[in-house]
Amino acid sequence: MTEFKVDSTNCDKEPIHILGRIQGHGFLIGVDYKDQLIQYISENTASYINDDPAKYLGKHIDEIEARMSISNYGDKLNISKIIILGLGNGFESLNPFYVKLDGKPFNLIIKNAGPIFLLEFEPCNTKEEFDLQKTIGRSISTILAETGLHPMLKTTALEIKKIIGYDRVMIYQFGEDGHGEVVAEEKNGDLEPFLGMHYPASDIPKQAKELYKINLTRIIADVDMDCPAIISNQGQNAPLDLTHSVLRAVSPIHIQYLKNMGVAASFSISILSNGELWGLIACHNYSPKFIDYKAREASKLIGQILSPALEYRLGEEDSERFALLNQSVSTLIKYIEKESDILSALTVNKVTINDVCSSSGAVLIFDNKITSIGLTPNNDEVKEIVKWVIDNSQDMVFYTHRFPAIYPDAEKYSDIASGLFACILSRELSEMILFFKPEQKQSIVWGGNPEKAVEAASDGSLQLSPRKSFDKWTEIVRCSSAKWNRGEIAALINFREQVVYQINRKANEIRQLSERLKLAYEELDTFSFTVSHDLRTPLSSIKSYTELLLLTNDSLDDNARKILERINACSDKMALLIKEILNYSSYTRNEINLEKINMRQLIEDVKNAIYESAQPKNLEFIIGSAPDISGDAVMIGQVFANLLGNAVKYSSKSVNAVVKIEGYVSENETIYTVADNGIGIDIKYYNRVFELFKRMDNVKDFEGTGVGLAIVKRIMEKHKGRIWFESQLGKGTVFYVSFNNEPIE
Amino acid sequence: MNQLNKVDIFLVEDNEDFSFLIEKAIDHIDKDLSLKVVDNGFSALEVLKHYNQEGTRPRIILLDLNLPGLSGLDLLREIKEIDFFKQVPIILFTTSDNPKDVRTATEYGANAYVTKPHGYVALIDCLRSLFNFWFNHHTTIK
Repeated sequence: MTEFKVDSTNCDKEPIHILGRIQGHGFLIGVDYKDQLIQYISENTASYINDDPAKYLGKHIDEIEARMSISNYGDKLNISKIIILGLGNGFESLNPFYVKLDGKPFNLIIKNAGPIFLLEFEPCNTKEEFDLQKTIGRSISTILAETGLHPMLKTTALEIKKIIGYDRVMIYQFGEDGHGEVVAEEKNGDLEPFLGMHYPASDIPKQAKELYKINLTRIIADVDMDCPAIISNQGQNAPLDLTHSVLRAVSPIHIQYLKNMGVAASFSISILSNGELWGLIACHNYSPKFIDYKAREASKLIGQILSPALEYRLGEEDSERFALLNQSVSTLIKYIEKESDILSALTVNKVTINDVCSSSGAVLIFDNKITSIGLTPNNDEVKEIVKWVIDNSQDMVFYTHRFPAIYPDAEKYSDIASGLFACILSRELSEMILFFKPEQKQSIVWGGNPEKAVEAASDGSLQLSPRKSFDKWTEIVRCSSAKWNRGEIAALINFREQVVYQINRKANEIRQLSERLKLAYEELDTFSFTVSHDLRTPLSSIKSYTELLLLTNDSLDDNARKILERINACSDKMALLIKEILNYSSYTRNEINLEKINMRQLIEDVKNAIYESAQPKNLEFIIGSAPDISGDAVMIGQVFANLLGNAVKYSSKSVNAVVKIEGYVSENETIYTVADNGIGIDIKYYNRVFELFKRMDNVKDFEGTGVGLAIVKRIMEKHKGRIWFESQLGKGTVFYVSFNNEPIE
Repeated sequence: MNQLNKVDIFLVEDNEDFSFLIEKAIDHIDKDLSLKVVDNGFSALEVLKHYNQEGTRPRIILLDLNLPGLSGLDLLREIKEIDFFKQVPIILFTTSDNPKDVRTATEYGANAYVTKPHGYVALIDCLRSLFNFWFNHHTTIK
């Protein structure tokens, strides 16, 4: 016999299926399928043949059958004939064969193990067999009648308990990390509940899980029973493959595990979902209890029926949730279709982005704005998250229910954002929608401390030992949120796709609109330019004809002369207006040409030009400090020509006219002030001063068109600068213009 | 009508008002000056080619920049290619102050580029100084 020493280094290699021992409630004979010679036999066969089983190794099966008092095969069958019968079609549909040994009922179960046929005899319970068929049918229809997932699992536990009569039946579900949780339980009233308990992944090793996928049921009838060895004359190099054996002995670790738990008999039924082990129906009895083959098969059938029903229910619960959330998605998309602004459509109405999943907070990062709804990290933290998502997510959606575990910075706001779902709208623009779920301080109740599954042995090496303590051990899991449910994920993916589609549609509309606007603007510009331009010629002619009349017609009386002179003055006025419009339009059309401007020189030039044209008398013109600025020299010249021109003009009737210009540099701007002690501006016109062709009531006696300040404002806008003023009627006005110290783009 | 063999001023101008005013202004300056007005570029070129054949040479040519058909600038170039008129001063009248037009005009050989004066008084002043310069000081073309 091969002895396997189990420690933490080889636990995954322990070849459970070739242990070479069976459980003692039955006996096993292994025959070669061709010659039907006995190759393996369990030691405890002795008590059924009253002879030494070793003597029969290498003998034909008929010889040992003759030693057994077997009846009831029916139809003149013997083992030899049964083997031949199963050769063609396999034994799956023939098992079990009901026999009587010494008058006691037994089931003979035959399985393949390579070239060997395993003949396993185990006791059978004739009493229960009677109404088993009916029980199964009822159980299955009861289970399938349940609508919810958890009621269905609970009913399953109850029905299984009815069939096998064990003290405790649990539905044990495996998590993504391999650990298990008891999600449904039926038990005798005197037992402590295990419902909600978690068990570490190490409780069921990987190779055991593989076996659960092959053998859908597994019985350990009595943990204290001796395990008879299987003897063979094949030598140590040919251990028998017991993968499919129903009597296969249990790993000593597992036996110890069960003993530590106080369990005397254990039965499990595998639940598969999509080919993977979804969980187990784990049944415990606190005294030895064998379940006969037919009841085991019935339980297996329930497990097999439960699996697809489970998948269907899971899918159904997901799709119900999806349908519910998708209503919010549809509502939001309708908002977007109706409203022009995507940002407000998604954030200000009755339904917002915080309603498309069970998030407690959502943030829209769109159009250079961060809009938060509900409980979310602050804007700076959101910016960091956005950057992290862009750098780390390959896909357009990313989600986790344990964000702080992968992004440690998130620990400081783990209370509100342990769960993160990111829908990237545009990678280039770093636009996305983030959904947050708060921390769910999960108390996981472990059936024993999972960290103590591996213990240090006396020599210091780590040894896998069956757990001794199953005391409740509560672990508080931090920085973890409720999981993102499949229905939620589907709804969010759908939401993202629809939003992106709408954004693209809107962007197209806006692009078309802006192109049309640009075209219209250009047309208007050209229109005003050409109209103004073309007006000049006939206007010139009007003036010329008037002058011609005045000059050449001696018969005109004084009255006619006066009228003609008025016509002349009007046409001059109109000519000035046209000139100003062309001027204004040229500042709109021309691109600015940035350069460093020598301001003292510029102001001096402007001053000289003003003195030349206006020829002011009694004017004190003060130039203070004049820091240089960056700008378009021609346009800035126009700004100061207009401001200083106005200051001189509107103070020309003051007794001691003073016009003062000076500049100073502040942190970001250079600000110039142009002050006069002129007529001032009425506060009620404050907002209209910069409008085109607007002139105040008190300036009727001064020449002007109302274009000058509009031009100044337009030029300041082009320079991304500011203009404002302070004024008192009759006392004077101060205009402020500020220029960015950083050169504008 | 002026006699064909005596044309002092040759004006190409499509604006009737302006040509009327020029006519009046010239009359005002000197009643003896003769004026020929043509209202488009193609006719102007035809008339000038005819002048070339019969030996009539204006003392000054005034062109409007914006003419229907052949533009003022094109007409300027055509005229400058006729040897007979090579020495005749050509003045461009325009409402445009586009520096590009001014440069092109000078490149094509315009002798002066004048913005149309605003008003009759200004027009008389303008023409008077033009004639004064080109007829009295610029004697080579007499």
